[in-house]
Amino acid sequence: MIRRYGVWVGVAIIGAICWGVLALSRGETVNAGWLLFAALASYAIAYRFYARFIQRKVLETDDSRATPAERLNNGRDFEPMDRRVLFGHHFAAIAGAGPLVGPVLAAQMGFLPGTVWIIVGVILAGAVQDMTTLFFSMRRNGKTLGQMAREEIGPVGGVAALIAVLSIMVILLAVLALVVVLALAESPWGSFSIAMTLPIALLMGVYLRFLRPGRVLEVSIIGVGLLFLAIVGGGWIAESSPYADFWTFSPNQIVFGLIAYGFIASVLPVWVLLAPRDYLSTFMKIGTILLLAVGIAITLPAIQMPRATEFAFNGQGPVFAGPLYPFVFITIACGALSGFHALVASGTTPKLIQKESQVRFIGYGAMLMESFVAVMALIAATTLDPGVYFAMNAPATVLGDTVQSASQAVNGFGFQVSPETLQDTANNVGEESIVGRTGGAPTLAVGMSAIFSGIIGGPALQAFWYHFAIMFEALFILTTVDAGTRVGRFMIQDMIGNIYRPFANPSWLPGNLISSALIVGAWGYFLYAGVNDPLGGINQLFPLFGIANQLLAAVALTVGTTILIKMGKLRYAWVTALPLLWDASVTLTASWMKIFSPDPVLGFFAQRAAAQEALANGELYGTAQSADDVRQIITNSTVDGVLSILFALLIIIVIADATRVWFRIIRGGQEPDLSEAPWEESRLDSEGQPVEEREPVGTGR
Amino acid sequence: MNPLRAIWEYLKEISGENAYDKYLVVHSTTHPGRRPMNRGEFYRWRQNEKYNNPGSRCP
Repeated sequence: MIRRYGVWVGVAIIGAICWGVLALSRGETVNAGWLLFAALASYAIAYRFYARFIQRKVLETDDSRATPAERLNNGRDFEPMDRRVLFGHHFAAIAGAGPLVGPVLAAQMGFLPGTVWIIVGVILAGAVQDMTTLFFSMRRNGKTLGQMAREEIGPVGGVAALIAVLSIMVILLAVLALVVVLALAESPWGSFSIAMTLPIALLMGVYLRFLRPGRVLEVSIIGVGLLFLAIVGGGWIAESSPYADFWTFSPNQIVFGLIAYGFIASVLPVWVLLAPRDYLSTFMKIGTILLLAVGIAITLPAIQMPRATEFAFNGQGPVFAGPLYPFVFITIACGALSGFHALVASGTTPKLIQKESQVRFIGYGAMLMESFVAVMALIAATTLDPGVYFAMNAPATVLGDTVQSASQAVNGFGFQVSPETLQDTANNVGEESIVGRTGGAPTLAVGMSAIFSGIIGGPALQAFWYHFAIMFEALFILTTVDAGTRVGRFMIQDMIGNIYRPFANPSWLPGNLISSALIVGAWGYFLYAGVNDPLGGINQLFPLFGIANQLLAAVALTVGTTILIKMGKLRYAWVTALPLLWDASVTLTASWMKIFSPDPVLGFFAQRAAAQEALANGELYGTAQSADDVRQIITNSTVDGVLSILFALLIIIVIADATRVWFRIIRGGQEPDLSEAPWEESRLDSEGQPVEEREPVGTGR
Repeated sequence: MNPLRAIWEYLKEISGENAYDKYLVVHSTTHPGRRPMNRGEFYRWRQNEKYNNPGSRCP
C-alpha cells in the first residue's frame, strides 16, 4: 500500500503546500512557481485517480473490443494512430487562442479566482467532458455531437444543438477577429508582420503542391524562418523606414481587411492559404507554448496582481462587468471547460484511436495540457504591474487618449501607475502607446515578452518578443478564422442543401460563394459592431462568447449524462451530471443577469432603455460622443440581448428534452436504445501491432 | 534511438510527412497489383479530404 501510493502521497503534500501558499501567504507578492506546481500536482493526482476511476468504473473501457479505427480502417479518416501522435493532433486541434485570452481578461478579479476555476474546472468538468464525449463518439463510429444529440435525446434537442453550434461559431469568429483588430490597430510593426504571413503562406502552398509535394516539415521550417524575418522586418518598418505611416491602419481598415480576407480564404482552394497557415500556426503554437513553460520555470516571476481585487465582489470591473459568480466561469472557458472541444472530441479524433482505454490519455490528458496553457497565460498577465494591466484593458473611452489621463483613470480603479511607467512600457515593446490596448492579446504579449526577454536577449530584445507574441496570437487566431469560416460555410451549405439540393455539393461555386458570404457577413457584422462600440466592444461581446461556449458544453454534458443513464450507469451519472448542473447554473445566471439586470452596465436591456431615454432627452449616454453613438449603443444592446435570450432558451430546451428521456428510462417506461456499434474482437495489441494467430493457453481447450 | 532522432521521427509522424510511405504499405497489401497514387497526387487528395470534412477546433 505504502509502496504503491507513497509517491502520490508526496505529490498530494507538495500540491497542498503550493495551494496553501497561494491562498494564505502574507507576503507582498507570491512567486509564480507556487502556482505552477499547484497546477502540476493537481493534474497529476486527477489524472492518476479521477480519470482512472472514470475510465474503469464509469465508462468501463474494453481493450479487447475493436475500435472504429481498427474495424473501419481505410487509411484515411479511420486509421489506428499511435497514441502519442494522436495526442499531438488532438491537442493541436483543441488548443487555440481561447485559453490565452480568457484568463487575461479574468485577471481583473485577481489571480486566485481564475487559478482555482482553471484547475478545479478542468479536473472535474472540462477534461471529463472531453474524455466522455470522445468515448461515446468512439463507441458510435465517430458520430458528431449534433448527431449524438439527435439520436440519444431526440429531434428537438438535435435541432437546438445544431443552432447552438452555428451561432457559437459566428460569435466566436467575431470575438477572435476583434482580438486581432485590437492588437494590430495603429501598430505598423504588428500589421506588417501579419500581412507578410500571406505571401509566406502562398509560397509554402506552391512549394507543397508543385515543387516538393508533401514535404511538410521542410516547408514549415522555411516558413517559420521567414516568419522571424517578417517580425524583424516589422521592426525596421516601424522604427526606421519611411513606410511606417503606410502600414499604420485604423481599426476599421483592419476590420474590412479581415472580412475580405475571410471571404477569400473561404472561397479559395485550401492549398493556397489555409493548409500552409495551418502548418505554420501549429508549429508556432507548440514552439511558443514550450518556450513559455521553460521561460516561466527559469525566471520564476513574482505575481503582482492581488489575490482578489474588489471587482471580484462589486461587479464593477472595467474589463468586463459583473460579479465573480458567474462571470469568471464564463470568461475563462477554454482551459477549464470548453464546449468547443466536444466538436473535436466527436468526429475526428475518435476515428483514430487504437485502444478504448486511450481515451483517458488523449481526452483527459490533452485537456489537462490545455488547462496548463491557460495557467501560463494567467501567470503572464498577473506578473505585470496591475496598474499597467488596467491601463491596457479598460475601455479606451474611459482611459482617455494620453498616459496622464490613463494614469488618473487607473487611480480611480484603486491602483497606482505613473504616466512615465506607461510610456516606458510602450517604448520597451516598440509601440507608440499601450493605453487601452484591450482584447487580451497585447497584455499577454507584454507579459510574455518580459518572460522571454528574461531568458533570451534581455531588455534589448523585449520589443522583438512582444511582436513575436502578437504574431503568434494573431497567426493562430487567423487560422481559426479561416478554418472556422470554412466549417460555418459547410454547415450552411448542408442546411440549405436539405431544402435546395445543389447546395449540398460543397464544390458548387454559387453555393460556395453564397454560403461564404453569409457566414462572413454574420461574423463581420458583430466584428464591425464590436470595434465601433462606443462602450468598448470586447467587454460587451466576450461574455456572450463565453455563454455560447458554455452552452455547447451543456449540450455535450447532457448527451453524456443521457448515454450514461442509458448504459445502466445511473449511479455514476453524477460524473457528467454535476458538471452539467454547475455549467447550467453558471450559464443561466449569467444570461439572466445579461437579460434582466436593472444595472445598465450589466444588463443589455437596461442599457438599451437607458440609452433610449438619453436619446429622447437629447443627451449623451455613457462614453458616447454623439447621438449616432447612442443609436449604435441601442442597436448593439438590442442584438446582444436577443442573442442572450436565444442562448438561454436553447440550453433550457436541450436540458428539458433530455430530462424527459432520463425520467422515462429511470421509471422503466422505455427500453434504452443505445446506438453503439456492436462488439467485435480487437486484433491489435496495446501497441497497435496486429496480433498473430493466438495459441490456446494451458490445457483447458 | 537518440533523442533528437526520436523528436524528428515524432515530428514526421505528426506533421503527416511520412503519411505517403504508410499509404504505400497499406496499398500494396489491400490492392496488390494496382498502381498507387504518386506522392503529389496523394497529398493533394489527402488535403482535399481533410478540409472538405472539416471538424472544428477550440477558440
